[in-house]
Amino acid sequence: MTLGDAAEPLVHIEDFRMDFGDTTVIRDLSFDVHAGETFGFLGSNGSGKTTTLRALLGIYQPTAGTLHIDGKVFEPRDGARLGYLPEERGLYKKEPVLDVMVYFGRLKGLSKNAARSWSENYLERVGIPEKAKTRLDKLSGGQQQKVQLGVTIMNNPELLILDEPTKGFDPVNRRLLMDIIEEHKRAGATVIMVTHQMEEVERLCDRVILLKDGVARAYGTVEEVQEEFGGTLYRVTYEGVLPESDLYDVISAGDGRAELAPRQGASEEKVLRELVETGAGIRSFTPARISLDEIFIKVYGEQHELAEG
Amino acid sequence: MALTQHNLGTVVAFEFVRTIKKKGFVIATLAIPVLLIVVFALVYASNASSKASADAQKSAQFSFAYTDASGIILSPGAKAAGGTYSDNPEAAIAAVKDGSSEAYFQFPADPTKEPVKVYGADKGVFENGKYEAVAKQLLEASAQYAVGSPRLTAALTGKVQFDSETFKDDKVAAGVGGVIPPMLFLVVFYISMILLSNQMLNSTLEEKENRVTEMILTTLNPTTLITGKIISLFMVGLVQILVFLAPVGLAYLFFRDRLALPDMDLSSLVFEPGPMITGALLLVGGFTVFTGVLVAIGAIMPTAKEAGTIFGPLMAMMFIPFYTFSLVISNPNALIVQVFTYFPLTAPVTALLRNAFGTLNPVEAAIVIVELLVVGSLIIRLAVHLFRYGSIEYGRKLSIAGTFRRSELTAK
Ligand SMILES: Nc1ncnc2c1ncn2[C@@H]1O[C@H](COP(=O)(O)OP(=O)(O)OP(=O)(O)O)[C@@H](O)[C@H]1O
Ligand SMILES: [Mg+2]
Repeated sequence: MTLGDAAEPLVHIEDFRMDFGDTTVIRDLSFDVHAGETFGFLGSNGSGKTTTLRALLGIYQPTAGTLHIDGKVFEPRDGARLGYLPEERGLYKKEPVLDVMVYFGRLKGLSKNAARSWSENYLERVGIPEKAKTRLDKLSGGQQQKVQLGVTIMNNPELLILDEPTKGFDPVNRRLLMDIIEEHKRAGATVIMVTHQMEEVERLCDRVILLKDGVARAYGTVEEVQEEFGGTLYRVTYEGVLPESDLYDVISAGDGRAELAPRQGASEEKVLRELVETGAGIRSFTPARISLDEIFIKVYGEQHELAEG
Repeated sequence: MALTQHNLGTVVAFEFVRTIKKKGFVIATLAIPVLLIVVFALVYASNASSKASADAQKSAQFSFAYTDASGIILSPGAKAAGGTYSDNPEAAIAAVKDGSSEAYFQFPADPTKEPVKVYGADKGVFENGKYEAVAKQLLEASAQYAVGSPRLTAALTGKVQFDSETFKDDKVAAGVGGVIPPMLFLVVFYISMILLSNQMLNSTLEEKENRVTEMILTTLNPTTLITGKIISLFMVGLVQILVFLAPVGLAYLFFRDRLALPDMDLSSLVFEPGPMITGALLLVGGFTVFTGVLVAIGAIMPTAKEAGTIFGPLMAMMFIPFYTFSLVISNPNALIVQVFTYFPLTAPVTALLRNAFGTLNPVEAAIVIVELLVVGSLIIRLAVHLFRYGSIEYGRKLSIAGTFRRSELTAK
């Protein structure tokens, strides 16, 4: 640890490696999550996100490396303030919704009454108060997800680990869920979130890691990652022909629209002046950041190129 | 820790309530007592009617013909009993056959060499015995008269009671009355295993099949979960035993005479503290071992079906010691008995048997009890470990070695 680090990270993963049989699924993965931040854990299907979370929570035994929460290997201590929403959802299917919620609430340290009233409020909030006495397997998929999320966030966990929390939700409920997560974030909870929805990341996450084939491809704040993958770009609409220049690269062009990536040392002002002076008939000029979606496709696309080449 | 205890209580309550709430459980639990009540009711009804007819029969004497080649039978006695002397056996038999005579006794020349032949009109299985009884009485009474001494006749006909006492370590051995009470622990062991084993096997299956494992493993300590499940199972078993016993107990209290239940002489039972305490401890030890093994199997196997394949052989372990029953009682030093006494899966039954029959000495008892408790708690710990690292491998069988290889790494 270098001098001047503000605080110990809440989650510390160093040189994590995971083998299943002869296949190495994760190689030398290291990253930290600090208390209070919302951390986006991104990566294509099969890149090892769920595996990493399971290893962090002691459900899998890592092949090598350090995986610490609060400076220690996680032990399922009774009543720890952890909320984990696993990718493989599941609750006691044959029990009524409220019974299951109260059971978990009690295991998480709430009194029976507190657990009951919290659960009733939560069901009200997510729009299924009438399902309190219904068996879980009589609920729709999305409704079951809501119950599962409720169980996860009971007793205000300090650390929320959510593996694809919005999976299976319609847009309205997805927004509701993001609101709920945001509330916990504002209340000071640390959130680690796996998602394939980049707009969720852009809305909520302070920092992200991008995993590909078990290796980190990008790691840092959303801005840093955008910077790393081309940072700023300019969206222009124009008439006529877009001139070549050594101030920028043309990423895409056609149909009167183009995306330009500035080269080293080319400021916004210089590029705009160049465009105007070369008489390209510029209609609009918008500095923008490369979206995470684009980064994702860029990183994921390489894989395809490699596979094909 | 207070919270651990709180959680243990929470798990026990949740598991207990949801098990006894299940329809299948309620039906299975109530089925046996209901069946018992039906059987009792039938027995009660038929006893009432047969008792009435039996009373009627007692007073109704029957007449019979007899032939006597031995010359023992006294004719006045025979006459008083309703007999008429006959000298034509064929005719007498024919008369019984065509129903004109009720019975015919043919006393042979030498009753020590030949049987007394009894012919009678069929009056049903229960009543037919009366012919033989009267023939026997007649023969005995006549013999007694001839000998002139009831004591000698009694000695000769075996009507003498014997009261035997055997001694062990300078004390009167308790005999059968001393075997029954410690044997009850074996009975309880079998009953609880029959009632609970399947549920033990499947106790962690629901978590696996419903994918609750990840949720539960990150919420509470797996030891607390498994312990809670075992305690709740035990409570469920007690409830079942009580429900089963309730009709038997009620019937015994209120309808004992009507049901012709065996009227046990409880005073002949001897409750010796040594074997009773040993029996109780062996029961606890055996219960621990089998519970651990069953939960561990459940943790390895992905589905109930696959778990069932191991289940059979395991249950066989509980019955195998009975194949050597006579050896267990007569020759406890036989190699096979020694092996069965100490092998953890056969030990509970073998040791409980030997304890009941008094062939398990205190040192052996202590060793077996300690062994069972130690092995049992080790297996339960193994079961917890297997559940923790195994049950996430949904749908796959677990490699035990795999779970340990991985746990060594984290220990580093
Ligand atoms: N128990 C297991 N045994 C063998 N291989 C496994 C196991 N669990 C995961 N894997 C493999 O590890 C790799 C990473 O899987 P993981 O579930 O971590 O991916 P992910 O990033 O969560 O993907 P997704 O976005 O689809 O959820 C996959 O190739 C998968 O096949
Ligand atoms: Mg995943």
